[in-house]
Parts: sequence; structure tokens; C-alpha cells
Amino acid sequence: MALSRYRVTAIVVRNPILYAGCHTIFNKNQHLIKIMQKFFLLVVIGFSTQFIYGQQKFTISGTVKSKRNGETLIGASIRSKNVGTVSNEYGYYSLTLPEGPHILEISSVGLQTQELQIVLTKTFVQNIFLDENSKDLDEVIVTAVPKGRSLKSTQMGVEQISTKEMRNIPMLLGERDVLKVIQLLPGIKSAGEGNSGFFVRGGAADQNLILLDEAPVYNASHLLGFFSTFNSDAIKDVTVYKGGMPAQYGGRLSSVLDIKMNDGNNQDYNVSGGIGLISSKLNVEGPLQKGKSSFLVSGRRTYADLFLGLSNDPSINNNTLYFYDLNAKLNYQLSNKDRLYVSGYFGSDKLGVGDLFGLRWGNGTGTLRWNHIFGNKLFSNTSLIFSNYNYQINIRSGANDFTLFSQIRDWNIKEELQWYLNDKHNIRIGVNSINHTMRPGDITASQASSFNSLNFQRRYSWENAAYVSDVWKATEKLNISYGIRLTAFSIIGGGDFYDVDGEGRVTDVKHYNSGELVKTYFNPEPRLAASYGLNNSSSMKAAYVRNVQNLHLISNSTTSSPTDKWIASTNIIKPEISDQVSIGYYRNLDDNKYELTVETYYKSMQNQIDYRDGANIYINGAIEAQLLYGNGRAYGIEGLLKRKTGKLTGWLSYTLSKTERKINGINNNQWYNARQDRTHDIALVAMYQLNKKWSFSGNWIFYTGDAVSFPSGKYTVNNQVYFYYTGRNGYRMPDYHRLDLGATVQLKNRKRWSSELAFSVYNAYGRENAYTIQFRESEDDPSKTEAVQTALFKFIPSISYNFKFK
Amino acid sequence: MKSLTQIGASVLMILLFASCEKVISINLNDTEKRYVIEGNLSNEGGNCTVTITQTKNFNEDNNFPGVSGAIVTVSDNGSAPKQLTETTPGNYTTTAINGTIGHTYTLNINVGGRTFTSTSKMPVLVKLDSLYVEESFFFGDSTKVVNVKYSDPVETGNAYQFVQYKNSVEEKTVFVINDDYTNGRPVTTPLFIFSDDDEDKKLKTGDIIKIVMKCIDPGYYKYLFSIDAATGSSNNATPANPVSNITGGALGYFSAHTTQSKSLVVN
Repeated sequence: MALSRYRVTAIVVRNPILYAGCHTIFNKNQHLIKIMQKFFLLVVIGFSTQFIYGQQKFTISGTVKSKRNGETLIGASIRSKNVGTVSNEYGYYSLTLPEGPHILEISSVGLQTQELQIVLTKTFVQNIFLDENSKDLDEVIVTAVPKGRSLKSTQMGVEQISTKEMRNIPMLLGERDVLKVIQLLPGIKSAGEGNSGFFVRGGAADQNLILLDEAPVYNASHLLGFFSTFNSDAIKDVTVYKGGMPAQYGGRLSSVLDIKMNDGNNQDYNVSGGIGLISSKLNVEGPLQKGKSSFLVSGRRTYADLFLGLSNDPSINNNTLYFYDLNAKLNYQLSNKDRLYVSGYFGSDKLGVGDLFGLRWGNGTGTLRWNHIFGNKLFSNTSLIFSNYNYQINIRSGANDFTLFSQIRDWNIKEELQWYLNDKHNIRIGVNSINHTMRPGDITASQASSFNSLNFQRRYSWENAAYVSDVWKATEKLNISYGIRLTAFSIIGGGDFYDVDGEGRVTDVKHYNSGELVKTYFNPEPRLAASYGLNNSSSMKAAYVRNVQNLHLISNSTTSSPTDKWIASTNIIKPEISDQVSIGYYRNLDDNKYELTVETYYKSMQNQIDYRDGANIYINGAIEAQLLYGNGRAYGIEGLLKRKTGKLTGWLSYTLSKTERKINGINNNQWYNARQDRTHDIALVAMYQLNKKWSFSGNWIFYTGDAVSFPSGKYTVNNQVYFYYTGRNGYRMPDYHRLDLGATVQLKNRKRWSSELAFSVYNAYGRENAYTIQFRESEDDPSKTEAVQTALFKFIPSISYNFKFK
Repeated sequence: MKSLTQIGASVLMILLFASCEKVISINLNDTEKRYVIEGNLSNEGGNCTVTITQTKNFNEDNNFPGVSGAIVTVSDNGSAPKQLTETTPGNYTTTAINGTIGHTYTLNINVGGRTFTSTSKMPVLVKLDSLYVEESFFFGDSTKVVNVKYSDPVETGNAYQFVQYKNSVEEKTVFVINDDYTNGRPVTTPLFIFSDDDEDKKLKTGDIIKIVMKCIDPGYYKYLFSIDAATGSSNNATPANPVSNITGGALGYFSAHTTQSKSLVVN
């Protein structure tokens, strides 16, 4: 039987004639009773709609949670016929309905849809617990039917990934990685082979706001970008906004990647873990007070370096190379109306060659949040957020003896009110204040060192924002959300600030005392979105969003590097601004089995930053003298077809896009392709559940090669051949494509213990994709020059073992 | 046990970092020829040489013929320009100029109807104190590196270029450093060579090493600092032409510098 219980009953209600036929299949009395109740209620509601005017309204509110582990559910849908809402980021919902009987249908991706029959005679609190789909296998597959992307929500340009979806997708070296999974979605492009960096709709890598429990993560990669800092075991929900960002988000031009950590199981203690080829993970969670409060600790560490330690050769066993992540979270219910969350992340990479050289870098974040519910319609959240990124280089080689320390640190306070005014309006009001401290580099050198001790100028800034937005259900078919975010970015002394002329020469230096205001940039950021329901299964949406960015990443490399440097806007470096309009069409096909999304966008960007030829970004002093400024534009069309039910699930995503820059001083001031410009991007992701034991998965990726600068000629200087470049990014890397395969086998699935083995092969047909193309004198014939392509990662197999102890 | 761990470690290294290289053919656009100028004026031997060549298309050979018939002059601290004579095609020299520390030299070239100019000030001479070879071990491999010692003066703005010759063969790596981080200090700097495991490039016992130290001006320093972007490697910053100190649209540089050298035998 390929239909879920709920969905069969729904059909029965709609087609009473079928009722008798299905009776034999579902000959359980409870079902009969349920169906009859439902039928009765529908009739009542049908009548009552005629008398809807003049009726009193009441509010039902509460929290939606998973029954199994008590995790609050984000984005769960709660509806009664045509009136509905979704739970917020803390699982809270508030729904105002007319007096009388209602059937509330509560659904969330991957969980069993529940129905709740209520008769509203007063305002009340109702917490809801949704069950997992784990009765038997057929049902698992079928009842995972989510209700489809919300057609009515005005939100567009958004993609949500559940950790469940993430589980089965094959990954490089078997490391599950959210940042790599999102790269399989339309409009989100990988920064390169095996890289966790990404570009969204033509934006640069630094234009993504990456949040972990609201705290910005400034360098989200490990091991030179091959792995992200997010341990998938600790993550509950990942949402990417590519456009139409709601007003509560701001600070980056291209996207918001909002990652929420698990709260921890408040029902039972759980230990789970995995042993992979390059890392091992352990996750411990459990209740502090059953059903009320819980904790979670999750850790991951790579262990390639442990092999080094086994060697007898000191030139091998002296070396260090590892990274680790530690996530911890605690949530505590103070009262029915108050809940406290404390969460933290700490991760670090360490690389060392004996005592000679050491490099370590890492992020630390901390978030303290207090949810308070006022009455039935007002939800408040107060957050105190800390975020830190730093790196340190130690060199102890004779006279080359110094330590370099660099840091960016934020203190951030936020207050937000969500006001579920009535069934037509849902209002958010918030304020946010961030203090940024940047230490570009502190060099500490010994007396005997060749180097001077030196502190690069520290930079201080204060970023304030206030926003208000309203989601307005204007008519049955039309929903409009509108809002505005006002930002004020203040640059604070002390330090020297420069005037720089068009040639990059410093013309004036002004000194500011500590605490003195240098400049404030005010920017209004309007946000507007609308959705219009065409019929029951399709809708159109449109959105306009302006984003402003005051922190800019300065990097001398195309891949992520730990020494990439964040700088704030100055009197010369203006805030980056982007305006994006997008239009989309959404359709649920074949009874919600498939979902089709098509979105098109145009984005214009101002005050984009590039580098002068020969720029040295590690100088002390006027970094402005190394930079050039200009505009950008990006446009494209994205399509996503997703199959959500059945033994075979997955999606096909396609992006056609163009991304250009026009910078004064580059490419003769003409438009040129941005490095991340790719014409076509295709991803095909398939997961197949063969039986209870085995599941298989595969993904195939194709994209047009990046825009790059290749030489147009060559010449000789100092008896060496050098290459002559004419335009910026006028050539393309070869097209990229690759197939990855994966299989998972369930070994044991007992009540208290389950385990599985996962296999994968990355780049299964061994395509040699160009990682770099270099030009050099030919090795065979030095009188010639040649182009040499380097490829990484061919047929990379992996195996990992995962277990869970309940 | 040792062999087992070594196998384990090498398997990991292979999995992670194994890369395959192959020569590919790329259709690169042809381009208009541009002039390439190398102007050098040293304090030693009264030597001033200017070489003029042109760019070629990528697929042509690496023989860069000199450009004849140019009028090349150099003036010393604003005095009357002295013309250089063409000794071989494209090579222009004179011994009439005595490279003097602190003097500013102006190069002027007329060739093919175009004019190129540049100036360079010969910086103070900072003495090359000594050389030594240091051996370090990395993942079981030994690498020998030449270290140079000098004392940077108290004034800022000093820059240095080192040229390494191994058994009279010039090392292609460009060694360049300025005093941004080392101003006024006794400096020891290693001349690292990233040799891609090329055995021929490694220093071995008995090799005769000669190091030439040039004290260079900021314009030529910037040129050498930025020349890395034109070496043909695409994985770092965006490839670009180095920042020339010549105006008029030529590639290349003009450098008035001091020259000194020291040698040693690797033991």
C-alpha cells in the first residue's frame, strides 16, 4: 500500500463513495471513527463559513516539537483550511481563528502530519508534538510527504535543507558537509574542487552572511577550504536566502546562510558517533529536566596526524596537522513563558612543522538567548552574541623569530518582537547593535629576531540596525510582506585615516583619538515581497531587496585562506550596496510528489572592491591605496525540480547566469566577467531506498569553467620568460563534471543500539577536472612554452561507520 | 610497525593530495606586440645597459630578438643626457655614466615612433655581511637553504634583491625583500626555493654558490614584488602584468642599484 494513513483518509473524506472500498483495507475502528468525526467537522465548518462575519476570533498558540526528542520544529505548518501560519525559529506559533470547531493540520518535513480537532471558545495555549515516521518502511518513504514548498508564503529565493536530506548525499572523503550540500542547489556555486566556499547569485565569497545560532562565522572553512566548520551531527536546520531576505537579516550582499544547532534531546539520553576516513565524531545529548530542558555536546576531530606520531623520524613525528570542532548547547525552560538557550561553538585548525613553523586558526562563537512570550500573540527574543575569528603564525627559525596574531571580534546584542497581530498581519520589530574590533596583525618578535615588533592599526566600528516588517495576507490569493531595515555603521577612532588619490597615493593623513567618531554611514534597506496564488498547486512571487555590507574580505587568493583579512568600511572604502529584483513561479506536481521552482533575478551592486595590480594586502597603513572600486551586475534564471516521495527521491537543479564587474582601473574600465561567472550549472541528486537495509545515492555535477585570465603573449625579463596579460578574465577553465556515488547499509537497528556503514566514491568516473592551469617553459623543449593542467581528487573512496546508543 | 605507519601515512597523503598533471592545448588569442625594456645601472664597473625586446605570441618559440635602431639616453641627476650605443641587436650600453649612490637617473627611449621614460634613484649601499647554508628536515626530506645576513639601516624605504647562482647557473626564483617589517634590524633571510621536488635544483655538498645582492629602489621593488602574478600560475591571485616604473606603455623596468656579491661552497 503506497499511501499513508493520513492521505488515504483524506481521500475518503473527499470521495465518500470510496469509503466502502477502503474500509476493507483500513478496517480499524479508530479509523472509521476518525473519518466520521472529520466528515462531521467538515460539514460544520462548511456551514459556519457562511456566518463568518460578526464572529468572534480567538488565538491558539504554543510550541511545535518533535515527540521523539523534544527538539523544537522550525517552519512547521499549522493550518486550518485556508488560514495558516508557520512556527518560528524557536518552534513558536500563534494562530488567530474564528470561534468554533476547527481541524488543525500540523506538518513538518520528514515528520508525520498530525491533525488536531479543536473547538475554539477561548484563547488558549496548545503545544504540539509531531511523531517520526518510523512505523514501517513503506510508511517511512511515503509519509515523508511534506506539504510542498509553501506556495502562499511571500518568501522566495530560499532553500531549506534538513539534516535528514543531507545524510545520504555522497561527499568527498565521506565528510557530510552542509556547505557542500547547498552547492547542489540552483544559484549557489562551489568555489572550486572540493571547496566548501560558495558564491550565491554572482556574489563574492565574502558576501554570504554565515550564521550559527545567530552568531556570524567569519571563516567557515577548515584545511584550506576542503571542509566546513559545521559538524553536521550538531545541526538542526539550514536555510539559505539567495534573495528576498527578510528584514531581520542584514550585513551581507548576496545571501544569508542561517544554521541552527540542535537543542538536545529532552526525552532521553543519546550517544551517537561516527568513525570516518579523516575524522571521528561524538555527540552526547539528553534531558536536564525531562521534557523541559536539555543539553547537547558534539565534537569532531581529524586524525591524519596521529599516523605521523607513530613514526620514529623526528622530521615526521614533529609535525602537526589537524582540526577539531566543538559544539555545545543548553536550553532551559524557566517557566511556561520563558526559555533560555546557551550555545557555543569552538573550532580550530593547527598546522605545525616541528618548532620551526606553526599556524593555527579558528572561530569561536557564543549565543545567549532568552525567549519570552507575552500573552498569546507577542513573542520576544533577546540575544547576546559573541563571535571571534583569529589566526596566529609562529616562526622560530634562527633569526626568523616572530609571532603574528590577527583577530576579528564582535559583541552583538539583539532584541526582536514577533507580533501575531491577527490572522492578516504578522509583524516583526527588532533592533541590533554590534561592536566590531579588528586587529589586522600584531607582530611580536624577540630581541634577536630579524623582525620588528609591530602592531598594525586596530580598527573599531559600531554597527546599528533597526527593522520592522509585516507579512500581510491581503486577500485569499495575495500575500504581501514589506519592511525596512535601517542601518548606521559608525567608524570609531583611534587611529590614522587616509585620503588616497586616483593613483593610490596617500595624500593626507588624519589622526583620530580613541573613541572619536570618524564617520557614520546611514542606509535604508527596503524589503518587499508578494505572492499570488494562481490555483491550488501553483503561485507566482516577486521580491525586491536592498542589502548593505560594511565588512569586506581582503584576500590574495582565489581559494579560502586562513590569513584572509576582514576590513571595515572607512572614509574611503564605501559600504557595498546591492539591489535585487526577482520573480518566481512555483508549482506542486502530481499530488505534491514533485515540486517545480523557477526563479529569475537581476542584481546590481555598487562599491565593489578589487585590487590594484601588484597590491600588497599585508601592508601596515593605508590598505585603501591597494584597492580599486566599481560596480557589479548579475542576472540569471534558476530551475529546481524535486521529487519528494517514493523510493527514489532527489532533485535536478539548473542555473543559467551571468556575473560581471566594472572596476575603474581594471580591463580598461570595461565590463568583465567576474571570476565566479559560470554560464551553466547543473546538479542531479538521487537517493534510492532499496529496502530497510540498503540505500543508494548519487550525484552528478556539471558546470561551465570559471572565467580566468590566461596570457595573450610572453616576453623575457632578467633571462626568464614571463607571460603577458591583456584583459581580465577573458578565458574559461575547461568545463567541470563529476559523478559521486554512495551506499549506506544498516547493520543493526535495535531498540537501544543502531549502527550503519556508509561507502562513497568521489569522482567515480575519474574525470580529470582542472584545478589549476599553469603556463611554463616546456620541460621537454625549453625553447617552447606550454600549458599544464593540474587535477585533484580522482576516484576517492571512503568508508565510515556511524552508531547510535539510545 | 614503522613501515605500516609509513604506508598508512602515504596512502592518506596520496588520497588527499595526489594530483595529476598533464600538458593541454589552449587556444590563446594573439596580440599586438609591445616593447619590453630592461634598464640596469649599477654602481660597479660604470656599467649601464638597456635591452629592448618585444612580446611574442604564446605558441611561438622562446627566442626574443632585440629591437634595433632605438635612441636610448640616460641622464645623471638632471645633467645632459648621454646616448647609449647599440653593441648587439637590441642591447644598448655606455660606460660614460658612473653609477653613484643617491643620484637620480632618467632613461629616455625613442623606438618605432614611441617614447618611453623612467627614473630611478640609486639607493644607499647596505653591506652583505655574510652567507651560510642551513639544513632543515621536512617529512623526512632534507633541504639546504642559503641564508644571507645584512643590517638594515635606520631609515625606511630600503629594498633588496638577491640573485643566486649554483655552479654559475642562475636560479629563477626571484628573491626580493624590503624593510616594511625589518627596518633598522640585523636581518637574516633564507632564500627559499620552491623547487617542486626538482632534484636538479636542490643544493648539494660541493656546490659553489654565489649570491649577488642588489640594493634597489622602491619602483623596481614593486616591479619584482608584482612579477609573481606573471609567472603563469593561476591558483593564486589574479594573473596580471607586473607594475612597471616605465611610462609610455612599455613592459619592463629601469633600475639603478648597487651590486655586491659573496660566494661559498656547500658542505
